[in-house]
Amino acid sequence: MTRNECIHEPFVVEAVLAGQWPEQANEVLVAHADECEVCREVAVLTTLIHDDHERSRFEVQVPAAGQVWWRSAIRARLESTQTAMRPMSWMHAVTAAITAGVLLALVTAAWPMLAPIGHLIWNVVLGYFPNPEVAAALAGGLRQMAVLGVLAVAVLLAAPLALYYVLSGD
Amino acid sequence: MREFTLTDMERLGAFDEAERTFQMTEEAFRSFYELTARQVRVYLARMTGDARLADDLLQEAYYRFLRSRMMFENDDHRRRYLYRIATNLVHDHRRRPRVEMPVELKPELHPAFSDPGVAERAARRIDLQRAMGRLKPRERTMLWLAYALGWSHDEIAASIGVKTGSLKPMLHRARHRLAGLLRSGGRS
Repeated sequence: MTRNECIHEPFVVEAVLAGQWPEQANEVLVAHADECEVCREVAVLTTLIHDDHERSRFEVQVPAAGQVWWRSAIRARLESTQTAMRPMSWMHAVTAAITAGVLLALVTAAWPMLAPIGHLIWNVVLGYFPNPEVAAALAGGLRQMAVLGVLAVAVLLAAPLALYYVLSGD
Repeated sequence: MREFTLTDMERLGAFDEAERTFQMTEEAFRSFYELTARQVRVYLARMTGDARLADDLLQEAYYRFLRSRMMFENDDHRRRYLYRIATNLVHDHRRRPRVEMPVELKPELHPAFSDPGVAERAARRIDLQRAMGRLKPRERTMLWLAYALGWSHDEIAASIGVKTGSLKPMLHRARHRLAGLLRSGGRS
């Protein structure tokens, strides 16, 4: 069975990372690493990884600190603006819901008042056209036009509101 | 979603606001960045295997670091926290299928490869990177933190979110696997 760890492992890593391995490292530790399977593996891998790390550090290009700061500052500003706008978006949604509810309530409340208008139209048409068939056809047409008129008014009221929310909301 | 743009005035205001929002001044950030940026960039490149992604993650890591509300005891604590952010960012990108060879280290593109000693060393580095690329992301992270940066087991365990007792066998397995991959020339 192979051992998983050795108490000398951290000292080997420390010596390699300090650039002392193996020439300037403690002789006893180097001798131990020759015998110990764990420490030998640790020394080899740490040397490889540390070498790669050190060389890559010099080869790699990073943006200037000012550039990273500037980008972060701009992004922080954008995010705080968006955060500040969020309650406004909620307000828009709440206002839209209230407006729709009020319009629906008004139409429901006004509906019984619209029914007598149908009778009124019928009576007026009957007064002008005594022939019941002509009067019925005309009254039907006028009733449909009245419904269409109500719908057109509703659209005229709702369209600018809808347009406003579509263009301003996020 | 509405797209926000900034005017020049707002842009100037961004710097004042940054001083208030960020956890350090620009001057302090510059010195911290000079000390850490290259190491973190190498770490990100080795963990992702993608140089461009590493550049993006570097910016993101420093941004998150600047916006953090942590109280730091010293520069070491600050550095460890930055690496923790970087590690989390890398793990968020884990879904990428495999690690590619970083472009800047391909032998045919590197002028130093005409020297035999340099070429041999560079070949070893390429072998290492290839072998690291075949490890699991967490294994790569553990090995790098332990053997490139010299972090203690406690620090690594805290960084990757495991108990110190669990870390030791995990680190041992990762090390053993890397050694095996290096012996077999990167083939699993």
